[in-house]
Amino acid sequence: MSLGAPSDAVVAEGISKRFDSVTAVSKLSLSIRQGALFGLLGPNGAGKSTTLRMIMRVLVPDEGRLRVFGQPLTSSVQNMIGYLPEERGLYPRMKVMEVLVFLASLKGVPESEARQRGRVWLDRLEIGAWAERKVIDLSKGMQQKVQFIAAVLHRPQLLILDEPFAGLDPINAAIIKDIMLEMHDRGTTIILSSHRMEQVEMMCDSICLINAGQKVLDGELQTIKRQYGKNTVRIEYCGDESFLDQPAIIERINRHGALVEAKLRTGADPQEILKAAVERGVRIRRFELVEPPLNDIFIEKVSEGHA
Amino acid sequence: MPKLWFVIKREYLTRVFTKGFIISTVAIPAFIIGIIAFQFFVAEKQPARTQTIAIVDEAGQLGNLIESLLTKQKLPDGKPAFAVVQIQEQPRDPQELRAHLTTLTRAHRLSGYLWIPRGILAGEKPQFVVRNPGAFMTLETINHAVTNAVIARLLQSKGVSVQNLSTLLHNADVRLIHLTSKGESEEKGQIYAVAIGMATILYGSLLMYGITTMRSVLEEKTTRIMEILISSIQPFELLAGKILGVAAVGLTQFLIWAVSAGLLAAYGLSMARTMRPSDSGFNVHLPPVLLAFGVVYFIGGYFLFASMYAAIGSAVSSEQDAQQLQMPVTLLLVASFFLFSIVMSDPNSPVSIALSMIPFFSPILMVMRIALQTPPLWQIALSLVLLALTTLGVTYASARIYRVGVLMYGKRPSFIELLRWLRYS
Repeated sequence: MSLGAPSDAVVAEGISKRFDSVTAVSKLSLSIRQGALFGLLGPNGAGKSTTLRMIMRVLVPDEGRLRVFGQPLTSSVQNMIGYLPEERGLYPRMKVMEVLVFLASLKGVPESEARQRGRVWLDRLEIGAWAERKVIDLSKGMQQKVQFIAAVLHRPQLLILDEPFAGLDPINAAIIKDIMLEMHDRGTTIILSSHRMEQVEMMCDSICLINAGQKVLDGELQTIKRQYGKNTVRIEYCGDESFLDQPAIIERINRHGALVEAKLRTGADPQEILKAAVERGVRIRRFELVEPPLNDIFIEKVSEGHA
Repeated sequence: MPKLWFVIKREYLTRVFTKGFIISTVAIPAFIIGIIAFQFFVAEKQPARTQTIAIVDEAGQLGNLIESLLTKQKLPDGKPAFAVVQIQEQPRDPQELRAHLTTLTRAHRLSGYLWIPRGILAGEKPQFVVRNPGAFMTLETINHAVTNAVIARLLQSKGVSVQNLSTLLHNADVRLIHLTSKGESEEKGQIYAVAIGMATILYGSLLMYGITTMRSVLEEKTTRIMEILISSIQPFELLAGKILGVAAVGLTQFLIWAVSAGLLAAYGLSMARTMRPSDSGFNVHLPPVLLAFGVVYFIGGYFLFASMYAAIGSAVSSEQDAQQLQMPVTLLLVASFFLFSIVMSDPNSPVSIALSMIPFFSPILMVMRIALQTPPLWQIALSLVLLALTTLGVTYASARIYRVGVLMYGKRPSFIELLRWLRYS
């Protein structure tokens, strides 16, 4: 029995990976359709990087089957994939352009072509002036940009980004995000992993949540959220917060400063909260009935599993 | 273009065009020449001091004879080699005399004393009692003098007159003539010099390029670029590319040395001809066949050791851990360096033949044997086959360790764990 459709970019069937006594990934199955912007989400140590490494053939699964673009992982399939590992690293004593040309040559890009594309990318990421400098002379943020370029220079059809925003300042994170969305628009399949769910839930169209090496939940993000319904109220306010102290209506509250997300009990009326706020003279700037954040869905699913 | 090629190219270019390469290309021959020159210098200068000795002759009638023979010996600078300050024949109290001389020797008043036992003519062994164990350098001279004195005494007792001892006991001075492919050449140590030179260069370069390979693998691990590489290329290709790339660097260095040595030799020879046309001088015989074997064994030995060093580089995460784990491999190389005196003393003894067959030693020891005295062809062929088979096996095992090791970070694995990695699928 095959899980995925022929058009899927990645199909994993029951893949597992053990390191000595630790099981990093256990019988994980997932399919990622072509052109998806797919989020592999989970807490630290959930097995995200191990899963990505298996898709990249950096690690070989102990069991299960993996297909990328319908094929087993041959060298030519590897050339179609771009990979930004979680642990970043380049040859410190090589020049930036030389590193890019070398890494591109391992993906089958001719040298002159790689040089030309490298120049365009370096200029776009505003580090064109550093092309002939040694990697070791670059700041950490600049090295991250070079690393990102190395992952996309060969125009991969599948781009795998392991924690792409880790260690980037907001400006550079936004630049990288724009490039990702642009590549997504052009049809590139993108898989990104993150332990910060709120950061990626706005970008991704499909996700897989994993915990302790096992799949918790996967599918199209909209479908998942719809299943949970609009059971959360997002409130931005100014004043006394005692109006939120209504355990009969509110099951759980996430606070983000002046913004709170309150999960309602089944059948509770959100109007009650608004009424209480008005009675206490709290100024409401925003009151919105929304689908639950992924974080909450994740916590709920994981605690269900434990119950 | 296969991916392997780009790995070789990167490895080669990032190593050859560096200050380190230029420095080692100049420094290593300078170092070897320096060591050899120093040894010659020391050998020339070492026993350059007159030794003050005493002679005790329990047998009698030998002391003066030995003295006359010893004091004829001259140092290179013309001073006498020995000054005999006291000769005691048939002492009344040998124990007391011996204690006294020992005290003098310990107090640096004497270099030592020669003790001729009563039964010397019957084969009892004389003793040369010294403070400095390095005195064995002069032992041959003393041995010679005592032997000649004993012979003279025996002849005398048979009624032969020994009025003119020096004509009777002149040194025959045997010359060593070595048969070469072109004829005969007088051996003054030049063949040993070539053999030691080749062995030293092989030892040094196997060690240096082995360690270079290990460092190079380790660098890719510590900088964490390994994961990107492994996502683009098979671990075995990466390992092969690295080993071949470093080998190309080594051969480039050899080529530079060979060409410059050739030029220097040609220049030196032409200078020698113009200065002293008649003197053939110190004729160094370095046949191209020997050089070719040197390169063949270097390549074989390099693949063998470099793949082991690469596996070690892949298994550890820091330079300190690498230092510890590489010890057994480095000891194998050091062992062949120490074993080469055995081969040198008798290149065709069963022990030498056996040692030169062991693949971990043959790259150095077989080349030495070829330099000293060409062994039968089957022995060379057998050692090459054994070396090739072992290299294949070790490379296969190393590649398996490498494949697991490159993504392992953290605690230094033990040898047992490395063996366990061999079985990972």
